[in-house]
Amino acid sequence: MSGKTVSLFIQCLVDTMFPETGEAMITVFDRLGIPYDYPKGQTCCGQPAFNSGYQQDAAAAAKHFIDLFEDAEVIVCPSGSCVHMVRHHYPDLFADDPAMHSRALAVGAKTYEFTQYLVDELGIVDVGSDFTGTVTYHDSCHLSRGLGIAEQPRTLLGNIQGLELIEMKDSDTCCGFGGTFSVNYPEISTAMADEKIDNILETNAEVVTGCDISCLMNILGRVSRREEGAQVLHIAQILAGAKRDQGEKI
Amino acid sequence: MSSPNSTYSEEAKKGIASPRLQASLHNLQHRFGKGAMDLWANMEDQDMRRRVKKSRMKNLAHLDIVLDELAEKVRARGGNIYFAKTAQDAIDYTLAVARKNKVKRVVKGKSMTSMEIGIDPALEDEGIEVVETDLGEYIIQLAGDTPSHIIAPCIHMDRNQIGKLFAEKLGIDHTNDPPTLTMAARKALREKLLSADMGLTGCNLACAETGHISLVSNEGNIRMSTTMPPVHVALMGMERIVATLEEHRETTQLLTRGAALQKLSTYVSFIGGPSSDDDPDGPKEFHLVIIDNGRSKILADPEFREVLACIRCGACLNICPVYGRIGGHAYNSTYCGPIGAVVTPLLDGINKHADLCKGETLCGACKDICPVQIDLPRMLAALRHKLAYGSDRWNTKQHNPAEAYTFRIWRLLVTKSSLYQYLIKIARFFQRPFVTKNHMIRKMAGIASGWTDGRDLPPIAPKTFAELWEEKYSKNRPAAPKAAEEEN
Amino acid sequence: MDNQDTFLSNIRTALDKAPGIKRSKTTFPELFASTNTAEILQKVRSRTVAEQDQLIEILRENGNSLNVCTHIAVSFDEAAAVVVDLIRTKEPEFNHTKHVMLHDHPDVAALNLWNRFNREAVTLHTSFNSDQQIKDKTIASFIGITAPTNAVADSATLIQLTEPGRPRSTSLLPSIHIAILRRENLLADLTEAYALLEEEAHLDSLVFISGPSKTADIEAHMVNGAHGPREVHFIVLCEPMPEQSVEELSDEKSEIR
Repeated sequence: MSGKTVSLFIQCLVDTMFPETGEAMITVFDRLGIPYDYPKGQTCCGQPAFNSGYQQDAAAAAKHFIDLFEDAEVIVCPSGSCVHMVRHHYPDLFADDPAMHSRALAVGAKTYEFTQYLVDELGIVDVGSDFTGTVTYHDSCHLSRGLGIAEQPRTLLGNIQGLELIEMKDSDTCCGFGGTFSVNYPEISTAMADEKIDNILETNAEVVTGCDISCLMNILGRVSRREEGAQVLHIAQILAGAKRDQGEKI
Repeated sequence: MSSPNSTYSEEAKKGIASPRLQASLHNLQHRFGKGAMDLWANMEDQDMRRRVKKSRMKNLAHLDIVLDELAEKVRARGGNIYFAKTAQDAIDYTLAVARKNKVKRVVKGKSMTSMEIGIDPALEDEGIEVVETDLGEYIIQLAGDTPSHIIAPCIHMDRNQIGKLFAEKLGIDHTNDPPTLTMAARKALREKLLSADMGLTGCNLACAETGHISLVSNEGNIRMSTTMPPVHVALMGMERIVATLEEHRETTQLLTRGAALQKLSTYVSFIGGPSSDDDPDGPKEFHLVIIDNGRSKILADPEFREVLACIRCGACLNICPVYGRIGGHAYNSTYCGPIGAVVTPLLDGINKHADLCKGETLCGACKDICPVQIDLPRMLAALRHKLAYGSDRWNTKQHNPAEAYTFRIWRLLVTKSSLYQYLIKIARFFQRPFVTKNHMIRKMAGIASGWTDGRDLPPIAPKTFAELWEEKYSKNRPAAPKAAEEEN
Repeated sequence: MDNQDTFLSNIRTALDKAPGIKRSKTTFPELFASTNTAEILQKVRSRTVAEQDQLIEILRENGNSLNVCTHIAVSFDEAAAVVVDLIRTKEPEFNHTKHVMLHDHPDVAALNLWNRFNREAVTLHTSFNSDQQIKDKTIASFIGITAPTNAVADSATLIQLTEPGRPRSTSLLPSIHIAILRRENLLADLTEAYALLEEEAHLDSLVFISGPSKTADIEAHMVNGAHGPREVHFIVLCEPMPEQSVEELSDEKSEIR
C-alpha cells in the first residue's frame, strides 16, 4: 500500500522519554507498507505554554512547527492533545496575523492522531498485531471530548485476536495530568490519578492503554509509586505487537 | 468552611482527606453528572440547548432594552424596581426598605446573589434576625458554616453531624434519620415563615415580556417567603432575564434538568408585583433589586461575555473531576466549581483568585454538560493568559514572574532545536543519581518537584527518538521536507 | 428614574452603544417576537374525549413518580366522596382539630362538602375575598382544596393562578393539597400550558405545582414535605361539562379581565 507519505510528529514526551512509542509506530507503518519520514528539528507543539497562559510563547513554538511541517503531505502524531493543540488552538494564536492564520489552518487540516489516521483516513481496522492479553482503555480528554475520537482506538484494539478489551468505569474522566496543573496542584492531580487507577484495578486488566503519552506518563508515575495498577503501554506498542518486555514495568 | 487565609491547595487537601465528602461527591456526580449527560444525549429536541444559548446571548446584547421592559411591566403593577450598581447599593436599598417597614425578622429563600453581596451580616448588624429557610442553607446557618455546592449546600455534612446539630440547636431528641430531621426543620421553620416581616429571595429568571420574576424550588420555602410576609425583596443579577415566555419555558426546562434531572422543579413561582388589596396573603410591597456588581464589565469584554449566559444550574459541579475531589469550600467564594472558577476572578479580582484560574485541567467536561453550552475551558485559558502577562483592562499584574521567565527559556529551546537537543543530553547526564533501581525518578528538585510528591517520573531515555531515527531509520530515506533548512 | 437611566446607560456603554441614546424595543422587533400560539391552541381545543382520556393516564403515571395520588371521578358526587374520605382518614399535622380551606371556585363549591359534615368535628372555610381571617384559617387548615386552571400531563404539573377568592396560601400551607381537575382542562405538555399562559400573563402571581414538596438536602435522601404540602391528590372529573357550567366559567374569566 502506498499513498501519502506520513511525516511523523513524534511529540516532545515521546521523543525524550518514550521513544519506544515512536518506534512502535514505525513498526506498524512498515508492516502496512505506509511510507513515512521524520522532519528533524521538531521540538514541541507549544501546549505546555498555552495551557499555562503563555500564549505568546506558545505562538513561537507554533510558528516553529508550522515552518517545519507545512510542506508535509500528511502529519501523524501519537498524541491526541498535541493534535488538538494544532487543530484548535493554532489558528486562535494567530488571530491577528492573517497570513500565519491561514498557514495554521492549512497545517491543522492535514494533522491527524495515529488511530484516527489509520481508521478514518486509510480505512484500516486490522493492523495485524500479535499482541495477547487483557487490556483496558483510557479516553484522554482532548482526544475524546476535543477531537471526538473514541471509536477508532477501540476498533483497532477490538480486531486484535489475542486481545480482550475490558472497559473501565468512567474511562473518559480526566486522569489529573493537565500540564503544569500536575506540578502546581499535585495533591489534586494525584487524587484524580488515584481514582483512575482504582478504576483500572477494578477491571483486573493486565494492561492499560491510551493514545496520549502525557496521560499515560501520569498514570504510570502513580502506578509506580503505588506499586500496583497495570502495565502501561501506548496503543502504538499494542498495535505493533509489543511483547511484555518492551513495555514499562512496574 | 474555608478560613480566609488558607489557600485553594490547603482546602483542597482537606477535602480530599474527608471520606464523607468524597463519598457524597461521588454519589452526587454519579447520579447527576452522568444523569445530565444521558439526558442531553437522549433529548428529542437536540437543538434546544443551542437555541437557548443563542437567545441568552441575544438578550445580553440587548440587555438595556429587556431590563427596561421588565421594569416598566413591574411598575405598572405597583412593584418597585431599584437598579443597584454595586453590592453596597443593593444592601443600602434593602436596609432602607427594612427600616421603613420596621422589619425584625427576615426569611430567606436560597440566593447565591444574596451571599455574593453580603446582605446577611448587614441585616444582622441592624438587629434584624435573618433565617435561611432552604433546608440545606438552614443547616449551614445553624452550623455557622458556608455552603459547598450551588444546589446542595450541605452535601459535605452527614446525618450524624446534622443530628447532633439539631439536638443542640433545636432541642430535639437526638436522631440521625433524615425524614425525622427534615420534619423537625419543617416545624421549626414554619413558625418563622409565618411570622416574618420580610421575605428576601433571589431570582432564577425574570421574564421581560410579562414582567415577572420566577423562582424554582422543591421545598416550598420560597413560596412561603414570598407569600406570607407583607414585604418581599428579590435580588436579581442583571443577566438573569429572558425576553419572552417561550424563552422562559425553554430556559426553565434546561435549568431544572441541569440542576437535578427534573422535568420541572416542584414549584415554579411567577411574581410580578404586590398582591392586590383584597388578597389575604402575598406581599403588599414588592421590591426588585437588579444588581450589576461587576457584571457590566464582564458584559463589555467579548472574551468573557458568554459567562453571563449561565443560569446557575450547578451541572458543571456535578461533572467536574476537580470539584469532585476537592469540594466547594476550596474555592473560598460564593460561586464554586467550574462556573465559580471563571466568574469569581472576573467579579472579584483575577490575581486574588489566581488559583481558581489555574487549578483545573481544562478537561472540557463542564463545557459538554452545560445546558447552555458555555465554553468555560476557553475562558479559563483566557484568564490564565491574563495572569501570564498581566492585563490593564482587568487590572491584573503578571502573576508569576519566575514562571514567565521559565517559559521564555522554554521558548528559546523549542525554537532552536540544536539547543533543545543539547539540553536533553545534559539533563540525561545529571538525572543519573536520581534514577532508582526500577528505572524511575522518585524525587525531583526545583519547580517541578510537585510531581514527585505523589508520583514517580520516567527518566529521559538513553536515546531520544531523534537520536534513534538517525541511527536506525534514516538511512536510504528521502530527507523530510524542510529538514535541510531547519536550523534557524 | 435617575438610577435606572444611569444603570442602563452604563450597560449601553458596555455594549459599545451610545450611552445617552435610549434604545427602544420597537427598533428590535425580533426581541419580543411573539410565538404563534394559534396552532397550539387549536390542537388543545380540538382534542377528542378519547385523547383526553389518554392524557389522564399519562398524568397519573407521571404523578405516581412524584408521589401524587390520582383519583378519577365521573361525577361531583364521586369526587366529593374521595374528598370526604381523605378528610376523615387523614390526621392534622400541626394541631388537633380538622379545618379545611376551600377555594372560592364553582367546581369546589359543587362538591357540596358543607352538607356532608353535619355531625362531625370538621370545620370548612372558603377563601372568600371579603374574609379578613383567611390567613389564620388557612394556617389552621390541614387540607387545602383548589381547582387549578389546567394540569399538564407530561410533568404532572398544576397551573395555579392567583385570583380573587383563590389565594396562594391554600395550596401551600396545609399539609395536604387536593386539586380538582376537569378532563377537558388537561394539557399534554408545557408548550400548551405556556401558550394558554399568554392570556393570563397580566396576573401578579401564579405558580406551577408538580407534586408534594420535597428535599434531598440531607445526604441526598429524598423526603416529602419540606415546607409545602407533603401530600398532593388529583381528582380528575370526567363528568361531561353541562352547557351552563361553560357559561359560568367564561363569565368568571371575563370578570377577571
